[in-house]
Amino acid sequence: MAIPVKDDTKLVTVKIDDKEYQVPAGANLVDLAKWYADNDIPVFCYHPKLEPVGMCRMCLVELGSIMRDRETGDVVLDDNGEPTVRWFPKLQTACTQTASDGMVVRTNTEAVDETRENVLEFLLTSHPLDCPICDKGGECPLQNLTMEHGPQESRMIYSDKMHLQKHVPLGDLIFLDRERCIQCARCVRFQDELVGDAVLGFHERGRRLQIITSSDPGFDTYFSGNTTDICPVGALTTADFRFGARPWEMTEIPSISPWDAAGENISLSMRLDRDFGGRAMIKRVMPRQNEYVNELWISDKTRFGHHFTRSLDRLVEPMVSFGDKLTDQSWNDAYKAAVTALEGASGDVAAIAGGAISNEDLWELRQLVEGLGGSRLGAWPPTHGGADLVAEVGVGQDTNLKELGAGDAILVVASDLEEEVPIWRLRLKRAQDRGAYLVVANARPTRMEEFALDTQRNDKPVEGAAVRYAPGEAAAAISDLKSSNKDVYDRLADATNLVVVAGADGLDLDGNKALMQACANLLIETDHVGKANNGLMSPIPGPNGMGLHYLGYTPEVTQDIVANPPKVLIVAQAEPAEDDPTATEWLSKVDTVITLSLFPDRTTSYASIVLPIQSFAERDGTFVNGERRVQRFYTAQGPLGEAVPAWKILTTIREKLGQGRAKLSAAAVMLEITKNVDVFAEMRYKNLSQVTRQFPEIGGDDLYYGGTAYQNRGGLGIQIPSAADSGKVKAGKVASVKATKASKGELIALPITELYNRSNAFMPSGLVHARVAVPYVTLSSSDADDLGLVDGDLVEVSFEGGAVRVRATVGDVPAGVALLPQHLTDEPTPIVPTVVTLSKIAQPVLA
Amino acid sequence: MNLIKGFATTFKHVLEEPVTLQYPEQMKPFAERFKGRHHLRRYDNGLEKCIGCALCAAACPADAIWVEAAENSDEQRFSPGERYAKTYEINMLRCIFCGYCEDACPTQAIELGHEHQMSFTDRRDAIYTKTMLIDPVPEGADGTPREVEPGVFTRAIPDMPDAK
Ligand code: SF4
Ligand code: SF4
Ligand code: SF4
Ligand code: FES
Repeated sequence: MAIPVKDDTKLVTVKIDDKEYQVPAGANLVDLAKWYADNDIPVFCYHPKLEPVGMCRMCLVELGSIMRDRETGDVVLDDNGEPTVRWFPKLQTACTQTASDGMVVRTNTEAVDETRENVLEFLLTSHPLDCPICDKGGECPLQNLTMEHGPQESRMIYSDKMHLQKHVPLGDLIFLDRERCIQCARCVRFQDELVGDAVLGFHERGRRLQIITSSDPGFDTYFSGNTTDICPVGALTTADFRFGARPWEMTEIPSISPWDAAGENISLSMRLDRDFGGRAMIKRVMPRQNEYVNELWISDKTRFGHHFTRSLDRLVEPMVSFGDKLTDQSWNDAYKAAVTALEGASGDVAAIAGGAISNEDLWELRQLVEGLGGSRLGAWPPTHGGADLVAEVGVGQDTNLKELGAGDAILVVASDLEEEVPIWRLRLKRAQDRGAYLVVANARPTRMEEFALDTQRNDKPVEGAAVRYAPGEAAAAISDLKSSNKDVYDRLADATNLVVVAGADGLDLDGNKALMQACANLLIETDHVGKANNGLMSPIPGPNGMGLHYLGYTPEVTQDIVANPPKVLIVAQAEPAEDDPTATEWLSKVDTVITLSLFPDRTTSYASIVLPIQSFAERDGTFVNGERRVQRFYTAQGPLGEAVPAWKILTTIREKLGQGRAKLSAAAVMLEITKNVDVFAEMRYKNLSQVTRQFPEIGGDDLYYGGTAYQNRGGLGIQIPSAADSGKVKAGKVASVKATKASKGELIALPITELYNRSNAFMPSGLVHARVAVPYVTLSSSDADDLGLVDGDLVEVSFEGGAVRVRATVGDVPAGVALLPQHLTDEPTPIVPTVVTLSKIAQPVLA
Repeated sequence: MNLIKGFATTFKHVLEEPVTLQYPEQMKPFAERFKGRHHLRRYDNGLEKCIGCALCAAACPADAIWVEAAENSDEQRFSPGERYAKTYEINMLRCIFCGYCEDACPTQAIELGHEHQMSFTDRRDAIYTKTMLIDPVPEGADGTPREVEPGVFTRAIPDMPDAK
């Protein structure tokens, strides 16, 4: 896309409604008319993020070009000395035109007005008068355009209107109203072009034409909710929001997705609700435009997974145990108990924080621990170790994944991006569509690998390669790429821009650290660091994995805490005993566990003090995403019960311990961070909330243009510069990794991630439950034969610290390993590669 | 002379019928268009007319109406079509009886009636809930919610006569 212009963009002169504009050559006419001339050409089928198709004819304009003499190339002048314009005999669709020199456009003539009116009248012939009960009513492109350009009166016979099904489930998340569909194919094209899950299609023709889903379960994709935003009518609605409120009744609060490292910008649509005690609750989660982060899209997990913020399962009162059982206590007593425990620790205090906690909380926690003489700050889960390298050679300042394209390359190693960070997967796949070379390296098949192996997409050739390494050998595979896979290495090395995403899929902490170093070395060696659109990213779990690093929490310290339990351990928004089967063992060695938790869970049952914290929706705060962008979220919902933001709990405890006055707001905490942590120097709340003009410009009166994604009013965030951005960095040594070994009869279970799972935070979103996989283990056919297992058998997987019963599936995995997804079973499963034994459970015979 | 004239006038009025009414025992007749407290109407078959569109709430200049909608099913049907009002409340202390809600309603579900005697000793009593506002079920019809044959009540807005 040529807007906004870069230094090297060629400009041409285009005349729109008698005014001349200098615009980038090749820019789409609808886009440029809006961007440069503030002229909103009405569209239905065109969308700035999709290829134009010219299907709806709403955008017809008068088009011409300035005549030039064939011989001399001079502009032909008419009798008045004005350039002569050669007009097309008929109106042309603006959405399929690209800017060229001498283009002349008229959008305000009678012919254009009449055409617009006619197109609308035609669309309304079979459109129901449904606006009062339509979820789009009030923010509907068809409604708005009809008011603006449509006929004043209908010439149709109302009772003669076509009636079609109004409640067609496309899967269990999205409903289709066949009457309202105007057949613009935006939804189909979004799935085909952008997402690459071609699960929607047109069926039949003419008046019988309808949208159908071809997958089972229906509309099987992690991005389905976005189609409801770009559908220009109310034909697609989400089961989550359906009839929840009218658009004008809701207040929009900017926020950040609480799920993964992408840090999707979202808008929480809030409204009072009797079912929630007459208080403001999240009615729907909508995307908020941030072209650097999520553009106009969010994953379905972000959109539908918000129910935990008001879940009845949440902790709403502080609990303290005096010897035996946890009982509800007042905050005063809970604070007293915490202060006594901390004072009694004589400095042997440590903390473990999860990736979903905000920077403000992390800062206060660190101050508390250090103020007491402790120094151990651990990051949970202790699986992803490369945050320091991301800080060093992470993607350069102003990186925007949407700028990657032809000549660039992407390497994804040891990560199942589809399940870990769906928005990165969407944007990187898109980069491949634009011509980037995509390499996926893993020990097992992933969705991303399928894309890498594709050769053709949307009728255009795409390129990529897949590298399979032996389980656990990720670092070696990257270090040796030059010798083992010269072609691939050369393509990566010679690429103009190179982005590497390295995770911990199938690796333990050491394996992940070695891999991160190998990837950093590759980037440094090939000179792909310290510039925009080059560098390293990692899908560290949680929205603030990088924040943990910048504020001094590391997974290595967590390992140390596990090995040498402290007297008092503060577990902040982490659920070790829910994640890790071995956690119960070391947690029980800690004298006093204090947790700051959203939910009562296995970890809190080891705690003697449990303090209820507020979720992201109830408070202010900041997260640092995987591209090191510090982003701010705002208070949307009132507190649940007596829950208090974690930073506030910690600052209060600190005051009671005599560590200075308690701070009164999250902003005050951030101010202190800016003064004490160098990389945060610029990150005052005011700076984080700044917004600049973004292309495409959405969210104005012309909802038909970009859909109902919200304009960004909460801030684009600020990226922390990487070390490479400000100076030279050196390659490091890749440590050799000790492989996990299994003896005969045993397998090595590799933990994998499922986006939809049974974690405490995701469980309350009941709508998505049907999509959570039945607990399973995947093993190779040879291992299955050895163990006498067939697909679908019930097996018991035993490992150190526990056992789970799951279904066996036979799949494309190397012999000797089994894929064991995390958080699908009620009991925890290993978080790192672990030796397991499988035994078949006799199937109960159903009568 | 003037004195006699004055007394004559007084006596004339003594003999006339009084204009005051013994309110509340006696009432004045209302103009048909008098706007009193609201009623939520039902169709003859007993289904609720209100579809929970909240257009009345949007039109209300005093912000007196609160609507929350939910989805009908054929097992639990309140109104024809897909949507019904799960919560419907009018705060009579805020309402200025302008009748805009009546104008805004696409199904003529809300109508202002003739009752006007509303006084409260507690502000909360002034909030009329859906149960208080909705008309009784017509004789012989079923109430709501009710189970219906699938595929019968598919239209939220009943067919309207076409403009001549
Ligand atoms: S899609 Fe738009 S025009 Fe059609 S019924 Fe819904 S609000 Fe009305
Ligand atoms: S469902 Fe919506 S987006 Fe899809 S073709 Fe119909 S109108 Fe277009
Ligand atoms: S009373 Fe009428 S306007 Fe108000 S919500 Fe019900 S149907 Fe809509
Ligand atoms: S034809 Fe141009 S927007 Fe549909």
